Amino acid sequence: MSSLVKCPHCGLRPREEFTIRGEVATPRPSAGADEATWFDHVYLRDNPRGEHREYWHHSSGCRRWLVLTRNTLTHETSDVVDASTLKTEGAQ
Amino acid sequence: MRDYPLENRSAFSPDVAVGTGAAINLAPVPGGFVIHVLGDAKSDEAALKQVLAKIAPELGADVRKSAPNQWFWVGDAAVYSDRLTELQAGLVNQFALADQTHGRVRMRLSGASSRTVLAKGTMVDLSADLFAIGQSAMTQIGHIGAMITRIEDDSFELIVLRSFAASLWDELHHMAAEFR
Ligand SMILES: [Zn+2]
Repeated sequence: MSSLVKCPHCGLRPREEFTIRGEVATPRPSAGADEATWFDHVYLRDNPRGEHREYWHHSSGCRRWLVLTRNTLTHETSDVVDASTLKTEGAQ
Repeated sequence: MRDYPLENRSAFSPDVAVGTGAAINLAPVPGGFVIHVLGDAKSDEAALKQVLAKIAPELGADVRKSAPNQWFWVGDAAVYSDRLTELQAGLVNQFALADQTHGRVRMRLSGASSRTVLAKGTMVDLSADLFAIGQSAMTQIGHIGAMITRIEDDSFELIVLRSFAASLWDELHHMAAEFR
């Protein structure tokens, strides 16, 4: 049918059930950061070759935001977690 | 008390033709209620069922998980807005209720071919060992979002947004055509 993503809440589901938001951006700059830093944060994306973290929304399933670790070369997804875990991880 | 109560009228006309004993059969589930239950981060299903059985033993505690800490509470009795207010008052702060009866339609697909028909539309594996009686999945049937619940070995209940009910109904008829 299509490429499958393993939602931590729903199990294996087809890509069509998800809405892809894009790269998990680097931590938000401080409010007083200069314009170039903010421009980079808001608009510029790295488009890496290899492992990459992305926000995916399981819009036709549990409607939770997920963070997917995906290899842009092989489309292998090594890890999928609920986006709320980023908070506890303290990384973002 | 609502100033402008919504009328919970079935989306189906009362004379919908429903075949019986066929290899495949699609039927509306008229009446009843669908209530969205939203729990806090620490809520769990066992606790929810317990409190529902206590405050509303007459409604049954058929809850179908739609997301982490979220369920559809479904039953065949009529629940009016005054009763809903009572139910919400009887629940601890951990759970909030949102009435979806007017907005979500239930239908039942049954017969020996029901799983084969659904497999045309959803990617969820509905084999009995992975999807037991009572289990639910929020998914898509074709492009229409729907919740699938196994009611019996060969019987599935579908819950769909009312505005998509006619589309899903027609689509299921097409999908089932070869088994008629
Ligand atoms: Zn999911």
